[in-house]
Order: sequence, then C-alpha cells, then structure tokens
Amino acid sequence: MDTNILNYAEERVRYYKVLIGLLLLTAITFGLPYLFEAGANLPAQMFIAVLKAWLILMYYMHLKGEKLIGTMTMFSLSLVFIFFIIVIGVDVTNFQFGAESHITAPEHTGGATHAAPAHH
Amino acid sequence: MSKSYFDETHCAIGHPKSTFMQWMLTVDHKRIGIMYAAVMFFFFFIAVSTAFLMRLELFAPGQQYIDGDTFNQAFTLHGVIMIFLFIVPGIPAIFGNIVMPLMIGAKDVSFPRLNWFTFWLYILGCIVAIASLFTDAGFADTGWTFYAPYSLTTGTNVIFTLVAAFILGMASILTGLNFLVTIHRLRAPGMTFFKMPLFVWGIYATAWIQLLATPVVGITLILAIMEKYFGIGIFDPSKGGDPVLFEHLFWIYSHPAVYLMILPAFGIMSEIIPTFSRREIFGYRTIALSSASIAGIGYLVWGHHLYTSGMADLAKTIFSFLTFFVAIPTGIKFYDWIATMYKGKIVLSTPMLWALGTIVTFAIGGLTGVTIAMIGVDIHLQDTYYSVAHFHYAMLGGVVFLLFAGMHYWFPLVTGKMYNEGRAKIAFWVLFIGFNILWFPMFIAGYLGMPRRYFDYLPEFTIYHQWSFFGAVIFISGLVFMFYVLIQGWRKGEPSGTNPWNATTLEWHMPTSPPPLENHSKVPYVDFDPYEYYHGEPVVKFDYETMRRID
Amino acid sequence: MSHEYVPEIALDRDGNEHVVQGWQDDFYGGKLGFWLFMFTEVMMFGAMFLTLAYYNTLHPHDFIEASASLNRLLGGTNTVILLVSALTMGLGLLKMRAGDVKGAKLMLYATIILALMFLGIKAVEWTAEYNHGVFLTLPALQSGNEHSLPFGKILFFGMYFTMTGLHGFHIIVGIGLMLWLIKRINSGKVTPEHHILHWNIALYWDIVHLIWVFVFPYFYMIGAAAATGGTGGH
Repeated sequence: MDTNILNYAEERVRYYKVLIGLLLLTAITFGLPYLFEAGANLPAQMFIAVLKAWLILMYYMHLKGEKLIGTMTMFSLSLVFIFFIIVIGVDVTNFQFGAESHITAPEHTGGATHAAPAHH
Repeated sequence: MSKSYFDETHCAIGHPKSTFMQWMLTVDHKRIGIMYAAVMFFFFFIAVSTAFLMRLELFAPGQQYIDGDTFNQAFTLHGVIMIFLFIVPGIPAIFGNIVMPLMIGAKDVSFPRLNWFTFWLYILGCIVAIASLFTDAGFADTGWTFYAPYSLTTGTNVIFTLVAAFILGMASILTGLNFLVTIHRLRAPGMTFFKMPLFVWGIYATAWIQLLATPVVGITLILAIMEKYFGIGIFDPSKGGDPVLFEHLFWIYSHPAVYLMILPAFGIMSEIIPTFSRREIFGYRTIALSSASIAGIGYLVWGHHLYTSGMADLAKTIFSFLTFFVAIPTGIKFYDWIATMYKGKIVLSTPMLWALGTIVTFAIGGLTGVTIAMIGVDIHLQDTYYSVAHFHYAMLGGVVFLLFAGMHYWFPLVTGKMYNEGRAKIAFWVLFIGFNILWFPMFIAGYLGMPRRYFDYLPEFTIYHQWSFFGAVIFISGLVFMFYVLIQGWRKGEPSGTNPWNATTLEWHMPTSPPPLENHSKVPYVDFDPYEYYHGEPVVKFDYETMRRID
Repeated sequence: MSHEYVPEIALDRDGNEHVVQGWQDDFYGGKLGFWLFMFTEVMMFGAMFLTLAYYNTLHPHDFIEASASLNRLLGGTNTVILLVSALTMGLGLLKMRAGDVKGAKLMLYATIILALMFLGIKAVEWTAEYNHGVFLTLPALQSGNEHSLPFGKILFFGMYFTMTGLHGFHIIVGIGLMLWLIKRINSGKVTPEHHILHWNIALYWDIVHLIWVFVFPYFYMIGAAAATGGTGGH
C-alpha cells in the first residue's frame, strides 16, 4: 500500500511535462551568460537551478502534498541558506585583511595577483 | 518464571543458539543499548587514564614523565575518545536506545536492523580510531579539532583519526535518523507530541542535530583528507586556501554537537526532578519547546570558537549576540526545574542527588560560557584554562553527571535489581567534591593566563596544577567506587520490582522486571499527561496484562 | 518477510479501537527515513558549495576564467542525459506501482545505461583535462613551480575534481542500487504491493540528479561568456 492514489495516465503526462520544463530551463541557462554580465550571471544561474530543483522536488520526488516531509525539507534548506548568508554574506565578503593576507595578495606568484578582496 | 529480554532475543541473521552470538546479532534495542554502554565506558576509562597521565606530568613545571610531543598526542587521544567515542554517542546510544521506545509504548525502534548495523559501524569506528596508536607514525598530535594547516603537515597518523571520526559520524547520523522516524511513527495511540515524556523531547531535538549537523563535519573530514593527500588547496595557504574556512566548517558541526550532548541530559533531568519531587513538572510545554529552540538556535552560534582567528568584525558581533541568545532557553529549563521542586515532597535518593549536583555544576559551566561569549573577554581567555574549566563543567559536570544520574535512575529497569543506596550516595559525594577540586582552580589559573594544551608552564601556576591533581585523584577514586557499587548491584543486588521509584512514565509500567523482549504486554492507549501526580501519588494505574487503565 | 504482519489494536477507556503502528510494514516510515537520509546528502554537498562560494568570493576573475576552460558541450550533454535518466527512473516507479513489473525493469535498465553514458562522458572530460596538465597532484595545481596556476584557479579545479568525483561516486552507488533492485524484483521481494525499496531508490536517483542541477551551472556556466570560441573549451 502506498500513500498516493495512483492515476497512471495523469501521472505519466505529468512526468513528461516536467521533462519539457526541465529541458527548457536547461536551454535558458545556456543563454543567460550572454544576457547578463559576469557578476549577475551566477545568481541568475542559481535562480534557474532553484526552479529546476523545485520542479524535481514537487513532481519527481512527490513532495507536493507531503505536509510533514515538506516542512522538514524547508527547515533543512533554510539552515543551509543561513549558513551561506553568515559565512559568505557576512564573513568572507567583509574580509578585513585583503591587503596583507598571503591568500589574497601574495608577494610573488606563478600567476595573476588579486590585491583587493571581492565585493558584490 | 516469566521471560525477560535477557532470556530471549530477535537477531539480524538467523536464529543462533549460543548466548554470545545472540548478543552479537541482537536487534533488540535494550540489548544494543547495554552493549553501547559497555564499549563506551571501556573507552571512557582509557581516556580518563590518559588525562591522569597528563595531570601527573603537569603536577610540577618542567618535564618529568613524557615529552612535549607525547603530551600533544595524549590530549588529542583524550579529546578524540571522550568526544567521538564517548559523549557524542553518549546518552542517545545508551538510554535513547533502551528507554525511549519504552517511554512511547513501542516494541522497538523503526529500523531495528539498521540499529544493529549502526552499533557495529560504531565498533568499526572505535577500532580505526585506536589503531593509529599502534602504528609507527603514532597517534595524531593535532588536538581533537585537527586545525589546518598543522593537521595537513604533521607526520603523525592523522588519517586514521579522520576516517574514524567519519565512520563514527555516520553511526551518529543513522542513530538520529532511526530515532526521528521512531518518534514520529511509533508513539502509542493517543500520545501526541505534547503528551510525550520530556526525555523523548530531548532525544527528538538531539536527533535533528545528529542528522543535520554531523554531515557537515563528515564532509569537512573528507575535504581534509583530500587536501592532505591530493592537495586540492582549500585549506593550504600556499595555494590560497584559508584555514579559517576549515574552522568554520569544523565548528558548524562541533558547536551543535555540544547541544547534542546536553539535550538528552536535560531530558534525564526533566524525568528525575518530577519523580523525586512527587509532583507534575512545572512548565512542561516551555521545557519541550526550549529543547527545540536550543537545537534550532544552536546551529547558528559556532563562530564564538573563531573570535581570535581572523573573522570579520561584523561576523564576530553577530555570533556574540546569537550566543547570548541561546543561553535563554537553558535558563528557562533551570527555572522550571526549580519551580517543580518548590512545594514538592523531595525524595533525596541517589538519582535526585546527582540531578541536584548537576544543577550546581552545570549552572557554573553555563554561566562561564556566557562570560567567554563576550568578544572582549574572549580575546583574553581564549585557549586558556578558563575555557578548559568551562567545557569540563558543562560536559563532565552537565552531561556525564546526568548520565550517571540516569544510570542510577534506570538501573532497576535495565537490571531488575537495586544497588546499595548508602554506598551510591558516598560515591556521589566523592565524585562531586573531587570534581570541583579538580576543575575550579582552572578558572583562576586560566584567568591569570595559564594556556591550554601546554606541556610546561611558568612556576607561578604550580599551585593550581597541584590542587587539580589532588582533585583528580579523588575524582578517579570516586569513579572506580561508583562503578563498583553499580556492578555489585547488578551481581548481588535486591530485586527491585517493576516501579521502585513509583514513577508515572510508561517505561515503569512493564509486566516484569527486567522487561520482556517485546516490552509492554499490549500497547496502551495514552489519554494522560506524562507526569500526573495527585498528592504525591501517580494518578494513572494499569492492569499489566491488558494495559487498560484501572484508575 | 513482513507480509504476514498483523497490527495490534489498542482499546481506549470508551472501548474504541485504535490501530497501533508497528515498525513492520511501515511504508510512510520507510519513506520518511529515506527523506531524512537525503537531508544529510544536502548538508554534505551544501558544505562543499559553501567552500566553493567562499573562494569564488575571494577570486571572482580566476573562477570565471577557469570555468571558461571547461567543456560545455560534454557537460551540457551530461546534463540532458541525467535529466532523461530521471524521467526513466520515475516512469519505472510509476509502472511498478501500476503493476507493470516488466516495464518497470525495462525502465531500470534504461536508467542504468544512461548512467553509464554519463560516467563515460565524465571520464572523457577528466582525461582531456589530465592531458592538458590540469589534474590533482599535477604541477599546474601545485604552488610555487613554473606551471602553477593562480590561486583562484587551483582552488576552482581542486573543488571541481572533488565535487564531480564525489558526484560520480554517488552515480556508481546508484547503478549498484538499481542492479540490486532488479535482483530483488526478480526474486519477488519487491512487488507492486511492497515497493518501498523501489520508491526510495527512485528518490536517491532524483537527489543525485538534483545535485548535478547545481553543480553544472556553478562550474560550467559562470564562465560561458568569457570562453573564447563559445563551447569549445578543452
């Protein structure tokens, strides 16, 4: 016995619809770098990835209609998101020692040097 | 003579006849919990001996028995065993396994074979951890925190410990997963979340931390291995890697890990206080929700281990604020427990003595943690004996003391016997007094500047080390005596009956003592709160054959 | 195995019956357990993305240049292959639930073949990178020698090989799980009435795909516009 009532034809059509949606979104990701300049490209790519992930979670992984597991998923994803905000958004973007640190301003290297820390 | 879980068991593979194989292959949560306890205390005593060796060396300035490199290996071994092999599996592995399913009226956990597999994964982790002691390169000398870049460059055998910690982390994750599904799925009919005993709430909050925080350290250890052997660069400054990132990733787990240690312990406190005050717990809902909030907020405070490492100032400020914030739910619990005792009929049996002792020692541990949550103070006290005293008051005087409390409380449930009460009380006092003599001087020494993990020190600190050594001797004697009392109780103690403490929660309503293999004879319908007392007597009474209420 | 389990009944004080949920035959419990396991995978790969984003923040230009040198044709093909394999996996589960066991096995074989194609293309990519001197332990990814790449590129490629390697490891495990599932179906242990194993392995495959949904754009696409000659790369 399983918890979802099975309507074979309807679910089969849904799977194919999601496939089309995912293929379309993939095509869009190939176009994005030519629409956005470098700084905005990454967030745009990640946004499309989140849309794809939402489609996969809701329909392929049957999360739509799952109340408890859906709440747990949101909690876990929020946690990851907060880690990102704190470590990337607060700590490393306010990197205080960019001018003196070897890892951002090495005295002599085999390649390019980057003296200034990043800023978004 | 009715059968208990010692007479018959379910096995993962086949139906072995020999008693030894029945224990090796058992999927019964009660037996698995006992096996965890046996292995954990074996390693606990190895780590205690290592600590004693260090105390011996530190009795006087200068080198007496071991050299500096060996000393580094000693504190690493002590930390790795105590944290990964003992206190992180800790109370969930022992009492989460034995008692939690009984408390919710279940016949076992949701995945008994996974539970069996997890136990043996834990054993594998223990073996790998200790194996490096017997290699040429010797045990790791990095401290249990394996900070880059030293852990990448040292010649000692770090990889064994990294792999062991990963395996033990997997065991912790699987235990948390098992308990989460058990608590969601196997509660007796009628037992809503707010009718669960508070120990189950503690295990539930802990399981969320085991599940979500441990993978982060798991992957950090793998990344450290990749760095050490394949040079991917992320922790190596000569390639632009940032050791502070290692610290971030490491403490994103290791700070929630300390809540993983204390939450089940607080759960035990919440069981003992109402039973030995003979009244309902004060503020059930706030204690339950505070467990959940400690677990939730506890994920966000890890940066207070990084104040002196070069984090951005803004990050330090945010972490300091969040760290102060997380102390509030713990304070709420303490007030609720004391309010429960107010106008209760206090029974000073050994479990209650341990609980009351812990209120004193954990209060000290917690409050000194709040002191070093202040950035300015931490600049002075980071990596001194003040930190060491703080976390030992919290972990040893909080988690382990409550583990001992739980051992004395649930001893009759597990064994069917009772230990000698008078001797158990003496053991408590020896341990409590020895503990404070051992650790309290370290607050002062740390404040005056004694650094931690140092093999030698300036003569002005000698008096503190000598007091600590004196305390260590008393403390270890107390440990040995306490285990002697418990083992004698198991071998020769009086039969205890099924409910010697006259408690209310479901684990005390078993048909036999010790309990049968499949726990309650029938699963009860739960339409009552977990701590219902009336004039000091439990309200709910059962017929133990049908598990119907007869009050 | 658990097919003969009969759940216990608990009676309340009014004599009403309540079915007791046992640990045996618990489909929802099996599903819940596997979702919890998947959260651990999210935390693991999340921490690796955190590392990637950390160094991206310190070295944005190096990351874009390193990304530009990856082969978007092969990476994009792999993305489509994995996408279609998620469909075949889902269809296989659907057929099993509907009673078409033969069709379900066919879909599992299709998924395995697509997974093997993914691994093959990955091997081609890694070999090409190795031949260009960009691989773990080779001089380009060490510091201080004449071939050393700049810091940002060393870190990019360090995480590239680690993350695609770990992802590939999860694909291999997935292939193993699917072969084991086919064996269990053949021996009658997995049926349309008891298919929790099939359900959970389908979920596993979905999360393997989900991880690639984030890995691909982060590594391959951030430098797409900077690449000389479009999707040629190495």
